[in-house]
Amino acid sequence: MIVRAALCPSPPLLASGVSGQTLVIPELREACEAAVSWLLAAAPDEVTVVGPGAATATWPPDSAPDLSMHAPGLDRLPNRAPAPASALPPASPVLPASPVLPAPPLPLSLAIGAQLLDAVGYAGPRVLQSIAESASPAACRDLGRDLAADAPLTALLVIGDGTARRSAAAPGYLDDRAEPFDTVVEQAIRDGDLAALAALDPHLARDLLAAGRAAWQALAGAIAATTPARPRTRILYSDAPLGVAYLVATLDPTPMK
Amino acid sequence: MDDDAAARSEPRPRRTPGPLRLGGREFPPERALVMAIVNRTPDSFYRPGVTWDSGAALERVHAIVAEGADLLDIGGVPAKPGPEVTVTEEIRRLVPFIERVRAAYPELVISVDTWRHEPARAACEAGADLLNDTWSAWDPKVADVAAEFGAGLVCSHAGVALPRTRPHRAAFADVTADVLDRVLLLAGRALAAGVAADRIIIDPAHDFGKNSWHSLEVTRRLGELTATGWPVLMSASRKDFVGEALGVGVDDRLAGTLAATAVGAWLGARIFRAHDVLQTRQALDMVASIKADRPPTRTTRGLA
Repeated sequence: MIVRAALCPSPPLLASGVSGQTLVIPELREACEAAVSWLLAAAPDEVTVVGPGAATATWPPDSAPDLSMHAPGLDRLPNRAPAPASALPPASPVLPASPVLPAPPLPLSLAIGAQLLDAVGYAGPRVLQSIAESASPAACRDLGRDLAADAPLTALLVIGDGTARRSAAAPGYLDDRAEPFDTVVEQAIRDGDLAALAALDPHLARDLLAAGRAAWQALAGAIAATTPARPRTRILYSDAPLGVAYLVATLDPTPMK
Repeated sequence: MDDDAAARSEPRPRRTPGPLRLGGREFPPERALVMAIVNRTPDSFYRPGVTWDSGAALERVHAIVAEGADLLDIGGVPAKPGPEVTVTEEIRRLVPFIERVRAAYPELVISVDTWRHEPARAACEAGADLLNDTWSAWDPKVADVAAEFGAGLVCSHAGVALPRTRPHRAAFADVTADVLDRVLLLAGRALAAGVAADRIIIDPAHDFGKNSWHSLEVTRRLGELTATGWPVLMSASRKDFVGEALGVGVDDRLAGTLAATAVGAWLGARIFRAHDVLQTRQALDMVASIKADRPPTRTTRGLA
């Protein structure tokens, strides 16, 4: 069952060094670390990181997050801590009933999630699970249900981004539908309204570059499989300073005593 | 979109180093060229609207010719997202101006910054010599227009970006390898379409579908592009990768641009698309003097 869940975004600039010499949006990083710390305070049996990727797959749990596809040359800079000796080369995912692919890199969402767990010092068991960005709402719900059944006390770190079309300066330029979409998502989280998350339109989400849709729907499926009640939630960050909507939240499915 | 399997079997040709021919001009390999930017837009990223008025635009052409520009690059649509510019409007912005420039400067090489075949055709009919397609052959017919008119063609890389979009979390296993593969694929297609080999130029297209880390890496490894033998166009002028490297706005990027220019020139790039023609010409001449590709202008100190 899901004992606690947290939601964080995955801009590459959240990863160490990717924003260059300047620490951008420090309050976003602080909110993410606070959410993850809260997640771990429940002493879960395992932490499952779930986030969007090209395919639905379980990744080796000790996969090293590698942002070099977004920031080549970052690891060549002086004063970088050398990669730990145990860091593995890009690992093959375990795909259910599929041919083995030639070692694709860990999806960005899981890399960011793994880095956040490392940043707060989590050394316990972890599961890295990607969900296809294009997965149907039903498939997302079913994956969430499976994750909830995985271990007696599972903490879920859900990585998902809102729209990328919030302003003329946004990477996806301005689309007037973007802010209302993000507001629906934030309100659903705020209210613990899992049905509203499950009802998000995947086509609209894709048009608005809201990569988190599948992960939010997996989150909804996981919590619904744990408890019929609405989870108690807190929003730690909700803004789009660079035109991409970032939402940081905690979700507590356990009933009030 | 390409069928990946079919594209993999197409050639990635190299070129024997030699002269670059554009219009009636022949440029030897050691000569670095300045391509002066004149935008016929109200909203380009640097000094927007400064050459929107056609009188002001022609004045600018007189100035850049006097400053030593070898080519003129005329564009009618900004690279960034914004209000749509139709094909008709783009042609309206380009063609009368090209005709006036051609009449005033019969020998000047005129390049047109366009990614659509209709404005490309209209521009060639008006006298353009080079089609500068910065969006990586989104319209494959642009190459056919170049072939039909005997014009030159720029083969560029834009990652997965569609025209007038910004890169959103662009990622490459090896951006330089990706650039090389794409521009060589397009060079091969240009040859197959009938564009002359000595009129083909390759361009990594800094910041197009690439973030600043990618643009810096491509600059660092520009030697891999120049080693192909194709003339390399470097368009770095005042771009965001310069601004993000230094933490400066668009009006303060000249020094960073000239530094990138000098590195590109040292690594063998041939054409430099620039807002600041005089300073770029000087930077290139300095690098050429250091490389002994060019004698110094006048040396008497200690030699009298």
